Amino acid sequence: MSAMSTSRPMKWLLAVWIGTVLVFLYLPMAAIALASFSRQRYFRFPIPRFDTRWYEDAFTSLSVRDLLWTSLTVAAIVTVISVVLAFLGALAFARYDWKGRSVYQKLLLLPIFFPQAVLGLALLLWYSALGIPTSWMTAVFAHLVWILPIATLVISIQVYGFNPAWEEAARDLGASRWQVFREVTLPILWPGIFSGALFSFLLSWGNFPLSLFTTGADSTIPEWLYSKMVSGYTPLVPTLGTLTVVGAALLLLGAYTVIMLVRRSRQARATAEG
Amino acid sequence: MALDTDARSLESELEDSGHARRAQAGGAAARLGAWVKQPGPLLGGPLMLFLALGFVGPLLLVAAFSLIPPKTFDLSGGWTTQNYVDIVTESYWISFAWSFGLAAVTVVCLLAVCYPLAYAMTKVFGRAASLLTLLLVIPLFVSENIRLFGWVLSLVKGGVLPGAADLWLGIDISGLLYTVPAIVLGLVYVYLPFMLFPMVLGLSMVPDRLREAAIDLGASRWQLFREVELPLAMPGILIGCLLTFILALGSLAESKILGGSVVVMIADDIESAFTFAQNWPKGAALSVLLMVLAGGLIFAVLSRLDLDKILGRG
Amino acid sequence: MDMAAPRETQSESPILRLQSVDKLFGDFVAVERVDLDIREGEFFTIVGPSGSGKTTLIRMLVGMDKPSGGDILLRGRRINDVPANKRPTCMVFQSLALFPHKSVGQNIEFPLKIRGVPPAERRERAEQLLRQLHLPLDYHRKPVGQCSGGEQQRVALARALAFDPEILFFDEPLSAIDYRLRKALEKELKDIHRETGKTFVYITHSLEEAMVMSDRIAIMRGGRIVQVGTPDEIYNRPRNRFVSEFMGEVNVIEVERAGERLRDTATGTELVGPHLPEGFRHGFLVVRPETFRFLDGAGGAATPNRLEGTLYNEYSLGSRLQYQVRVGASVFLVEKLREQRYLGQLDDRVTIGWDPAEAMLFEE
Repeated sequence: MSAMSTSRPMKWLLAVWIGTVLVFLYLPMAAIALASFSRQRYFRFPIPRFDTRWYEDAFTSLSVRDLLWTSLTVAAIVTVISVVLAFLGALAFARYDWKGRSVYQKLLLLPIFFPQAVLGLALLLWYSALGIPTSWMTAVFAHLVWILPIATLVISIQVYGFNPAWEEAARDLGASRWQVFREVTLPILWPGIFSGALFSFLLSWGNFPLSLFTTGADSTIPEWLYSKMVSGYTPLVPTLGTLTVVGAALLLLGAYTVIMLVRRSRQARATAEG
Repeated sequence: MALDTDARSLESELEDSGHARRAQAGGAAARLGAWVKQPGPLLGGPLMLFLALGFVGPLLLVAAFSLIPPKTFDLSGGWTTQNYVDIVTESYWISFAWSFGLAAVTVVCLLAVCYPLAYAMTKVFGRAASLLTLLLVIPLFVSENIRLFGWVLSLVKGGVLPGAADLWLGIDISGLLYTVPAIVLGLVYVYLPFMLFPMVLGLSMVPDRLREAAIDLGASRWQLFREVELPLAMPGILIGCLLTFILALGSLAESKILGGSVVVMIADDIESAFTFAQNWPKGAALSVLLMVLAGGLIFAVLSRLDLDKILGRG
Repeated sequence: MDMAAPRETQSESPILRLQSVDKLFGDFVAVERVDLDIREGEFFTIVGPSGSGKTTLIRMLVGMDKPSGGDILLRGRRINDVPANKRPTCMVFQSLALFPHKSVGQNIEFPLKIRGVPPAERRERAEQLLRQLHLPLDYHRKPVGQCSGGEQQRVALARALAFDPEILFFDEPLSAIDYRLRKALEKELKDIHRETGKTFVYITHSLEEAMVMSDRIAIMRGGRIVQVGTPDEIYNRPRNRFVSEFMGEVNVIEVERAGERLRDTATGTELVGPHLPEGFRHGFLVVRPETFRFLDGAGGAATPNRLEGTLYNEYSLGSRLQYQVRVGASVFLVEKLREQRYLGQLDDRVTIGWDPAEAMLFEE
C-alpha cells in the first residue's frame, strides 16, 4: 500500500543505503575475524598467511576459561533477576493505570540515558562508602542498574499489546487466579519475557564500562580485551573477540530456533487436541 | 460504515477509560481503597527500590563527594565548593566543549544516516523489517570496545581499509586512525541503533492512510515530509536525538580507542580524576556537572512526551 | 414480538434481581439505585448511550466489579461478593477476548478444561458447538487470528455456551461488525436464544439492535434506568423525550400552553396536541417523521396542525424516502413510503401536518 508513494529509483537508493549501513556495521567485526586467523603476531592487511593457532591457544588457556566463566556467571544471574523484576515492572509500566505511573515511567528511563562510565564510577564510590568489596557479584548489581530498565521496556512493549479482557474472560469462564496466569497471561506475554531475557543476557555479556569499575579483582571478557588493547596487544584479542561475537550470534540463533520450536509444538498440540 | 463503527468503538473506549480515570479521582477513603487494590505500585515497587539503591543512592553519594575538600576520601571532613571553583578556573571547559561539540556532530550525522534507513524499514521494505531489525540489533550485543577495536584494525596503518586501498587503488589513506573524524565515526557507529530504533517507532506512528491523504491533497514529497511525517514522527526522533546526544556526551571508549590522545572528552577527565589522579572529589564534581547538564536536557525532553503513545504502538 | 407473551408466563420469580444497586468511583456516580428483575429464559437488553453506566452495570452483574450499594440476587441468593469465576454466569466481551495463543477448539474447550473435563469429552462438546454455530468442524485447530470477524463472533459465543451458564451476558459484541453482517448475526443470536432457552442479558447503545432481539428492554441514562418494557411498549409509549429521541430520528417542537392548545415557541404557530396533562405549561412535542403528511391535496384542510415551509432535500432510504422541510429556522424530517412519494421538486413550497393523536407530548 505504502509502496505507492515510493518510486522505483527511490527504492533502489534506499536498498543501496541499507546495504551500505550494514557493511558499515559489520566491517569491524569482519576485520576482527580476519585478524584472528592471521599467523602474524601483528595484524596486516592483506593477510599473508592464515592460521588457527590463536584459537588453539584460546581454548587451552586457563585464564581464558576463567574469564569465560566469570562473564557467563554474571550474565546468567543478571538474566534471572532481571526477568523476574522486569516482568513485574513491565506490568506496572504498561498494564495498570495508577497514580505515580507517569513519574515511574520516566524515572525508569533515566539509567538508560545515563553515561555508563560515570554510573560505573558512582557505583564504585557507593560500594567503597558502604564497605562492600568489589567482585563479580557487585558487577551483577551494577549491570542490573542499567539492564533492568531496558528489560522492563522490552517486556512492556509486549504488555502494551495485552488485552486485560483476556484475563477477565478467563476468570469469567471459571479460572482461578493461578489458572488465569498459567493459561492466559504467561503464554501470551512469553515472547516479551523471552526477548527481555535475551536482551539481559547479551547486554550483560557484552558490557564493558560498568564492569570496568565494579568487578574488582575479577575480570570479564570485554574488560580483559580492553586492558590488552590499551597495553600489550596479543592476537588473543581478536580471537577472543571473534569468539564472543560468534557466541552472541549462536545464542541469538538458538533463541530464534527455540521460538520456532515452541510455536510449532503449540500448533502440533492444538492439532493433537483438536 | 467503517467510520461509523470506528467512532462507536472509540466512544465505548472513552466510556471505559473515563470510568477508569474517574476511579482515581475520589475521596480520601476511596483513594486509600484504590491504593491497596491498585497493583501498580506493588509491581513496580521492587524495581524502584532497586534503582533507589543502585542509581539514586550512588548519584547522591557522588554529589556529596563533590563537596568535600580536594584529594580527601572522607565525608566527615567538612563541606566546600573548592572542587567546582577548581574546575571553572582550570581548563576543563575544553573537555566539556569537545564533548558537547562531538555529541552534537554525532547527532546530526546519525539523523542523516538513520532517517532514510528508518523510513525504508517502516514504509518501504515492511516485509523484510524483522530480518533487518535482527541484523541491526546483533552488533548491539557485541561489546562496544571489541567493535571499536575492529575499527582500529580497519583504519590502522596496514589495516583493512588502507591495505585494501593500497592494494587495489594504489592510494595511501593510512592517516585515518587517531583523528577527530575517527572519533565521530566511532560515536556514530556505536550509537546508531539508539537513534534508529526510536526513529522506527516514531515513523511507525505515521499512519499510511494519512500519508496517502496528504499525497491525494496534492502534497509534494518535501511537503509530505515537512507537514506530515516529521511532526508525527517527532516524539520518536526526539527520543533518538536525546539518547544519542547524552550517550555520546558521556562516552569514553571512542575517544580513547579511536582518537588516541588527540582529544580529551569529559568522561576521560572524570575517569582519570578517579583513577590516576586519585582526586575523587574533583571527579565527583565533574560527574555532577555532567549529570546536571544531561539531566536537565533529559527532563526538558521527556516531560513533553507521552510514553504510552510511543511504546504502545510497538 | 408475539413470542414474548408465552415466555413471560413461564416463570414468575426472577432469575436475577437487582435491588437499588449503586456504583461509585470516588465521587462519581456511575450507576444509581438500579432496580431490575430479569426473568428466567428471557432475552433482556439494556440500552443506553456512551457513559450511561451500562458497561459498569454489566460488569457488576458478571462479578468483575462489586456494587457500592444495594444487592444483586441470583435466584434469591445474594451474590454481591461472589467473584466472577465462582458465578454460574458468563459474558461475551465487546472485544470478544478470544485467547490469541489458542486455536478455535482450545478456546471453546477452555471452560471445560478449567473444570477438569477429560479431553475426549471436551472435544465432543466443542464439535457439537461448532455444528450448532454453523462453523466447519476443521476450524477446531484453526488459530483464532485467522478467523473472520463473524467467525470470531461465533467462536466467542461457542466458548460462552461451552461454559453452560445460567445467564449469558453480552457486552456490545456486535459493535465492531459491519452493518449487513451485524443484521444477520442479530437474528442468529435470537435463534440461538430460542434453541438454548437460556436467559440472555445484552447491552448495546443501539435501540434498533435491541428491538430486533429482545423480549424486554431497559433504557439507561446517566446511571439510572429510565424505562423498562417490551419493544412495543418502548416504541409506542416512550416515557420521556429522551427515550423517544433515542429511538431514531424524530422531530422535536418546543411548545408552551396556549389555553387548551399549544403554541410553537419558535414560530408562534398554534398547534393541537394530544391530551394535555394537568398543569402543563411548557414542554416538547415529538413527532415521528412517518406521521407527517404533505397537505397539498384537498383532504388536508381538516388537519389542525399545519406548518408551511420549503422542501429543501430528499434522501432515499430504500423502501422509504425522507424529506427535509425547512420551516423558518427549524428543520423537519418527513418520511414516506416510496409509493407515496412527494411528486414535486426541491424548493417547492409545501405544507406538512400531522394528526394530533399521533404526536407525543413530554413535559420538561
